[in-house]
Amino acid sequence: MYTRPAVVAVGRTKFGEHYEKEPEKLIEEAWLKASVEANIERKDLEACYLSDYFLPITNKLGLEEGFLSELTELHVPMEVTRSFSSALSSACNAIQAGRYSMVLVGGIEKMTDRWDKIRDDLMLLEDPWSYYAGCTPEANHELMLRAYIKKYGVRGGDVEKLNAALAHVSVKNHMHATKNEYAQYQRKITVEQVLKARKEAQRPLGLYDYAPISDGAASLILTSEECAKKLTDKPVFIRGFSSATDYLTFPARDDVTHFLASEIAMKNALKMAGVDRHDIRVAEVYDQSTVMEMVALEDLGFCERGRAWRTIHESCQEYKGYYEIDGRELFVNMNGGLKADGNPLGATGGAQVFEVFRQLRGEAGERQVKSDAGPTYGCVLELEGFGTKSYVCILGRD
Amino acid sequence: MKVSSEPIERRVSYLGDRLMGRRCGLCGKEYFEIKDYCGACGRKSYGKMADIDLFYDKGVLEYCTLVNEPTNKFTKLGSFIYGIVSFHNGKIRVPGRLTDQMAQLEKEVDFSSLEDREVVPRFRRRYSVETCDVVPTISLAFTFADEYYPYQRYETVKPSKEYDNPGIVSYGAYTSKFRIKEEHIERSVPFIDEDSITAAVEAGKMALMHAAVSNSLVGKVYVGSESNPYAVKPIASKVAQVLKLGEEDEDMQGVDAVDTEFACKAATSMFKDAASLVSYPKSNIQYAMVIGADNSQAAPRDCAGGELDLFVGYGGCAYIFGKKDVIAEIEGWYSCTSDTPDFWRRDGEPYPMHGGRFTGEPAYFKHVRKAAKKLMERLNLQVGDINYFVAHQPNVQFPVRIAKDLGFKEEQYLPSLQVAKFGNTYSGSSPVGLAAVLDIAKPEERILMVSYGSGAGSDAYSFLTTHQILEKRKRQKLTVKYQAENPFLEYVDYTTYRRLKSGM
Repeated sequence: MYTRPAVVAVGRTKFGEHYEKEPEKLIEEAWLKASVEANIERKDLEACYLSDYFLPITNKLGLEEGFLSELTELHVPMEVTRSFSSALSSACNAIQAGRYSMVLVGGIEKMTDRWDKIRDDLMLLEDPWSYYAGCTPEANHELMLRAYIKKYGVRGGDVEKLNAALAHVSVKNHMHATKNEYAQYQRKITVEQVLKARKEAQRPLGLYDYAPISDGAASLILTSEECAKKLTDKPVFIRGFSSATDYLTFPARDDVTHFLASEIAMKNALKMAGVDRHDIRVAEVYDQSTVMEMVALEDLGFCERGRAWRTIHESCQEYKGYYEIDGRELFVNMNGGLKADGNPLGATGGAQVFEVFRQLRGEAGERQVKSDAGPTYGCVLELEGFGTKSYVCILGRD
Repeated sequence: MKVSSEPIERRVSYLGDRLMGRRCGLCGKEYFEIKDYCGACGRKSYGKMADIDLFYDKGVLEYCTLVNEPTNKFTKLGSFIYGIVSFHNGKIRVPGRLTDQMAQLEKEVDFSSLEDREVVPRFRRRYSVETCDVVPTISLAFTFADEYYPYQRYETVKPSKEYDNPGIVSYGAYTSKFRIKEEHIERSVPFIDEDSITAAVEAGKMALMHAAVSNSLVGKVYVGSESNPYAVKPIASKVAQVLKLGEEDEDMQGVDAVDTEFACKAATSMFKDAASLVSYPKSNIQYAMVIGADNSQAAPRDCAGGELDLFVGYGGCAYIFGKKDVIAEIEGWYSCTSDTPDFWRRDGEPYPMHGGRFTGEPAYFKHVRKAAKKLMERLNLQVGDINYFVAHQPNVQFPVRIAKDLGFKEEQYLPSLQVAKFGNTYSGSSPVGLAAVLDIAKPEERILMVSYGSGAGSDAYSFLTTHQILEKRKRQKLTVKYQAENPFLEYVDYTTYRRLKSGM
């Protein structure tokens, strides 16, 4: 019988530009908040799992474990991965296997330190051939949208509706972020602004369709079930977690309108969690663009293929705080999503788990979802690259 | 200073220039990479993967979008269309950018009007690098198959006739889609991702398609140019690899490749060498290719040497010589040389200089006249025995004056006069003139070509066309006339011309 990993505390920094702060300061802040909440000491940690994509490039930190050791004065095992979800997966495996009973999972990114080159760096996460052919971090999202429209035969007035639905995704996420003190953009925007930006860009998607470049850190304390019960009355369990992979070369994939990896990861995570997809009320999905949020609803199986934009469009006519799918409520990206909360790559997944943790514990303040007796299950979808890797994590109060 | 990683460059260009792939012999699945086994069939497909390349293929632009905020190495391209191109009914999908697009992007782009259209790969520069770096190239640039460069199949045909004398087997003239028009002269302008290397490869590709000869039978390639982006490193090695000339052995080509330099006669000088080589029985070489290609250099107008800026063009011309299925036999040649410093470019200098009074009478006219007269004398030819006269064309006046001096009439020299349409394409100048004549010549007509290279010297050749010139014409889609009068030409202003010419 394996033990279940549980999150007992979370911490994060505000996302945005932290011009004056070193990366150490950011992870320190996130870690301190989590440790205070869990009421634990550094020496209680048996291992650390840290995630970042670009610290070796942006801050010339080649061996991040070393700086974390220096920071924490710990000499425990530490491992660095790219996404927060991959760090969390490794941590979960270790806890489940009984190797450790308490570990730190942290994510950090300092993208604005390399403002003029970060878009080139981001292309490292896409395939080199696309880069050689002139691809940008935005182009694949737009191609995916073009392909989606074609594949599902969206025509005439429906194209306008679909485009409006995508604009609503951004407007909705910005609105959510106004209630999130940590969010990068705590201001409302309008559908007109989104559409105008697209027109100015002369492209299918514009400035307001894309997540920004951000600095930030997030962390959580992960423990065994037994340990969690000693530390808190309200642990949040990692019920299921899974990941899947796909071709690096986006154009070479069979279906360019979805992320196969997300679909597989969700299927396996649900199986592990033993939870019905429709019992999930809160979903933090990876909206690097508005298209990605739309596609995520389909990849995670909440909406039928080719139908998510209709759901979004209908739900956003008079937005009540959730997407209404077949009479069920699905609260998506309550923290503002990557779009408005921010997207410091290595820390992004941490903010997503942070949000689901708060929502499940009923601690989300103004943005707490209104649901009978509160939501029981939530999920996090995080991608690496343009759907090259997908991580799904299902969290639950029980 | 950053310098390219040589092994990465080697691997990327090996695959990307030719668009190499593999097809599984068991299930038929195709890959855009050199895979040794099929992902679907696994181990049992080992050794059953066949090479494919998409270089001569056409694809379909499936989806596209506009890139108007490119990543750092692409900023000189400005805006461009980027998308997914599929080949073989979607069996292979590759990323690609459309090239040669400028005016189309000034207004709002309707992506659906571009999608589902056929596209052809173009061999171009990949992106900008430092001037000390390896020049990166790739064929993931595309143009529409129904625009300036029409799609043409490359197929090989068994030769039907062997000749006693060597001659021209095929040719291909390549110019760009852009022009600058000033007063009475139009000149071709390279797109920003073009240079003498890309023109040489594209011209060679066209010559192979015209010849319908297997690339593996070409045993030697010469590239004459005076605008090689490298001071040291041949264009010919790139041509040999991209066109896969000679027998391929492992990742090398069994071909001799060399660059030549003698101002504007760097290519024509090698015609006789190529012809001799294929005639020497022990050379074991059936075909030899000669290419003249230049992004003709000139200083800006207000600088020293800027007078050339009114005449320089861009383009390349390739000729394949052999003894089988010849379209024009070589009757004879004569070359003359003198050390005349009429035009030069010192090492490290970006633009060539003119010696003022030297360029006319003591240089161009003296050498061209000598070569033409000597060859006619040797072959016992009168002006009336010659159907077409082709001269080097640095401007409009010089070739006309020398033609008249030699006694030629308009109908003899006008068909070859292309400088007013493409500008002076330096090493490609008289070869383009010859191509224009071969495009229209009837069998058993005599062509006298005289090149000129500053420094100085001239090569005169007498060609006699054969009956096979007609049957091969059906494979010559991109004729000189077609390129001169193309409806897809795009005209640019002086500032744009200078920017495009300076390249990525």
